[in-house]
Amino acid sequence: MNSRRSFLKQISGAAFAAAAAPSILAWALPQGQSVEFPGEDGMILRSFRFVDLESPVEYFNTWLTPVPHFFVRNHMHEPSELDAHDWRLSLGGEVDKPLTLSLADLSKIETHSVVNTLECAGNGRSLHRHQVPGIQWGKGAVGTARFSGPRLGDVLQRAGVKPTGKHVMFRGLDEVPGKVPPFIRSIPIEKALDADTLIATHMNGFPLTKHHGFPARALVPGWIGAASCKWLTEIKVLEAEFVGNFMSPAYRLPNQPVQPGDAVKPEDTHPVTALNVKSVIAGPADGSSLSAGKVSVHGAAWAGEADIARVEISTDAGATWNPAKLRQEQAHYAWRLWTYDWKPGKSGDYTILSRATDSQGRTQPSAPVWNPSGYLYNAVDQVKIHVS
Amino acid sequence: MFRNLFRDLFSAPEKLKMRSNVEERRFSAASSPIHDPGFSPRDHICCSGIFLVLLVLTAASPFSAQAQQPSRASVTADLPAGPMQAKATTACLECHEARIILQQRLSKAAWTKEVDKMTKWGAVVDPTDRDALIEYLSTNFSPDKPAYAPPRTSGGKTGSGR
Repeated sequence: MNSRRSFLKQISGAAFAAAAAPSILAWALPQGQSVEFPGEDGMILRSFRFVDLESPVEYFNTWLTPVPHFFVRNHMHEPSELDAHDWRLSLGGEVDKPLTLSLADLSKIETHSVVNTLECAGNGRSLHRHQVPGIQWGKGAVGTARFSGPRLGDVLQRAGVKPTGKHVMFRGLDEVPGKVPPFIRSIPIEKALDADTLIATHMNGFPLTKHHGFPARALVPGWIGAASCKWLTEIKVLEAEFVGNFMSPAYRLPNQPVQPGDAVKPEDTHPVTALNVKSVIAGPADGSSLSAGKVSVHGAAWAGEADIARVEISTDAGATWNPAKLRQEQAHYAWRLWTYDWKPGKSGDYTILSRATDSQGRTQPSAPVWNPSGYLYNAVDQVKIHVS
Repeated sequence: MFRNLFRDLFSAPEKLKMRSNVEERRFSAASSPIHDPGFSPRDHICCSGIFLVLLVLTAASPFSAQAQQPSRASVTADLPAGPMQAKATTACLECHEARIILQQRLSKAAWTKEVDKMTKWGAVVDPTDRDALIEYLSTNFSPDKPAYAPPRTSGGKTGSGR
């Protein structure tokens, strides 16, 4: 478990980024309307009910994202009542010994920590041309935190998974309106038993907040956020993938590339699982005007279950590319912060691009790969600035 | 509407039995290098009944001591005026707020699929209103409309106690 001291140390890199771009921070946020929202600081309000909050990209200057700056994605109403004392987690299905665990029971199981970049599958949806329905995320439905709690595999082992157990289903305490299908999904048993898959009770060293799944959530590292079910109340080992709306037709990608606007048959799709390779420019901000001098181009890059191999920057709209410097902080499933110090040769308009490549050899495409639900947008990022 | 409002308010963090979480918010926000990113909520009180209820309930919350600057925008948004505004409000906003609609830019075909899906999921739409509802949504929220500009949250100070 992290102490406050270690947490402070981990995010101290923030000072670097803030110092690198002091002029940016003063004007980065538009002076638009604001909505009172306790505990959520300067977030982009995509929806109040259900709560969907996006981080402005200029927040991506710390390796660990402070909780009030961490995006929130809900499909349903949050649980109206959550009591740590009364909360129970049931574990059943294809197991030898069904279990019911309290929060105190979980706290007695060995804790493991994973620094994980969590990204909503729909992050970047609004950037697709031929727009598709869904929360119109910009670039900020992503964040990185240290999640801690018992390994899911340790808990499954206590229950004894039968050989027939092939998938592990999570159900949360979300309150379902109308006849909306409940938000229930499953992951393959292999991922469930991975040593880094957790029943997380803590985030950045402190108990989960309500928006992030108090008192316990699944943490399926490197995978889309939807895999990491919040307000966990039931784990069930199944013989096959769970059948429900949020496994199909939702959260699936076409097996073959499709043209924007094309319809895709369900049988021609597969589930979205691990994140792909991606980078985002946190500063300078898109549309900003800078005075001549040194410019710190900086941002974050991540690759799901893979590692970031390199990030390249172009300041001439893609004609030439130069390597960015990757910052030191790293973990298997966590993003890498990067910087590129640049001195514009002359005044004028510039298009700055960032392009990440990962340890699997995947590189961000220059153009978005469209799909009917707008998942996993990962085109080369760009900002346009003016230097005077 | 008020039932939903109450549900939202009571699902706010302060309702929870989570003292340690409040501490986390305070700590995390205070640790942020850019915890006050240029926001200047203005003293501009919307005089709707909803907002008054919000103010009363906020005043009763544990955070009331810090809740000094009311927000400029209402917590939830409204659908645009039009012949179907009232029926769309009834059909759609029972389950979610208007911003989920306001941010979409969809073709009429896509809106048709959405309306039919939502009707299947419990939205109360009289069959005789279906076409008019689709027309209302696809007229107001078509791909050629400018992008929706979402508000920001201002609550770090109130929620974190900074």
